[in-house]
Amino acid sequence: MLARVSYAFRETWASFKRNVTLTAAAVVTSAVSLLLVGSTFLIQRAFDNLLTRWKGDVELIVYVRSDASAEQIAFIQEAIESQPGIIDVSKLRYLDQAESYAEAQKLFAGDPGTLRLLTPENIPSQFKVVPTTDDSNLIRELGESFRGIEGVREVAYAQDVFDVVSRVSQFIRVATTVMSIVLLIVAIGLIWNTIRTAMFARRREIEVMKLVGATNWFIRIPFMLEGLLQGLIGGVLSCAGLWGLNSAWSNAVTDFNDTELAALVVSDGYVRWVMIMLLVIGAAAGAIGSGIAASRFLDV
Amino acid sequence: MIRLENVTKSYSTEVTALRDASFEVAKGEFVFLVGPSGSGKSTLLRLMNRQEQPEKGAVWVAGKDINTMPDSKVPYLRRNIGNIFQDYKLLLNKTVFENVAFALEVIGRPKHVIRQQVPAVLDLVGLSDKEDRFPHQLSGGEQQRVSIARAFVNRPLILLADEPTGNLDPATGEGIMRLLDRINNTGTTVVMATHDQRIVNMMRRRVVQLDRGVIVRDQERGVYD
Repeated sequence: MLARVSYAFRETWASFKRNVTLTAAAVVTSAVSLLLVGSTFLIQRAFDNLLTRWKGDVELIVYVRSDASAEQIAFIQEAIESQPGIIDVSKLRYLDQAESYAEAQKLFAGDPGTLRLLTPENIPSQFKVVPTTDDSNLIRELGESFRGIEGVREVAYAQDVFDVVSRVSQFIRVATTVMSIVLLIVAIGLIWNTIRTAMFARRREIEVMKLVGATNWFIRIPFMLEGLLQGLIGGVLSCAGLWGLNSAWSNAVTDFNDTELAALVVSDGYVRWVMIMLLVIGAAAGAIGSGIAASRFLDV
Repeated sequence: MIRLENVTKSYSTEVTALRDASFEVAKGEFVFLVGPSGSGKSTLLRLMNRQEQPEKGAVWVAGKDINTMPDSKVPYLRRNIGNIFQDYKLLLNKTVFENVAFALEVIGRPKHVIRQQVPAVLDLVGLSDKEDRFPHQLSGGEQQRVSIARAFVNRPLILLADEPTGNLDPATGEGIMRLLDRINNTGTTVVMATHDQRIVNMMRRRVVQLDRGVIVRDQERGVYD
């Protein structure tokens, strides 16, 4: 038994050294594809977090014209507060122009062009309204009634944002999934090719092994081990990459602590779970791919 | 030990390698398969360790019909059959010792068995002092002895030799034949394909002659023709 195990490892290592470039190509490709698979999961999770947070208290925002008079603002507030059956008056918040400007600084930090257009004087102030009902039709009806009040510039529904985010996340999900599947296939193809080359390099040995009665599994296992190792190393690299990406992302997002964007942070526990999955996928794809390749080319 | 029953094997619709061949080899026998190139000698050998399968007929080895045997059992069949080739099929990156040890290693024999059996068989073939040489440092005859050692190290019941003297000069070839004779005397059945008239005539063993896939002669203590 021990002799067989040491044989398998010796052969795997020798083959690894023999095909350095091809092995490196297979490892890098599997790392990149697994990184994409991992990113897909994290992005998805981040959007889900964001959506659940919004879902909790679907709000609508009443933007007030920057040139509205104090009376107009007071009238708007009265109009909103006169609907206690639909809105949660205790959670009603008014952000004056200075506060709105401060919020915009954070929201548009990545968009200096927009930021340059805004000043504390021209920015609309806003009422953030938390409804007590989940009925989006009722909320919309209410919002439309605010629209007619003098001094109201715009009424925005979180539902609209929600829909946009859903659509964007859907698109990103499909795009990253397709890309990662394509790359995963390429990675398996490369591992397949490495194994075929490795087997070709050892075809005389394999012929002799078959003639003296080595079992197919005995011949196959070093090659499967080689594929497994390639997939696993690719998995480890992708985990490192994913960890780095996620840390950078989390750091960037913490700057928006009091905005909805903070919900885009993914918990470390989830990241760890995704990383374990990447290692398993990498190892399994490598072992199975090379196992099938080995069987295909085993006929002497 | 080996029995062929009405075996027909063709590689394509035009080429029939073997037609309705039947013969039997008893345990401990030494049999020459003779005939010109393409007469079916190699095919016959390849049928005996299931490197080939016949279209018709059955091949029995050591009491088993080897063509109905599942693929997973074939390796165990082959552990009872040693193979020797005209081109030796040695692994060039391994020493003499490693080449022979390889045959035991890949069927999972433990180290201590290898350390004991490899020197013994190298002694038998007369290469004890060349354990650490590589194949390219050996003469043709020596390389063939290594290949015989590899085929015999697991003490198989049967030895199949395909033109083992084909690449050797007459004197060296005779040495190889003496070695095969000694192995045969230990009770190992030997089937050897050859078109080396001199050797067949010298050994005076059973001769099975093939012509275009048909067995045309089967003679005890025969000569080439």
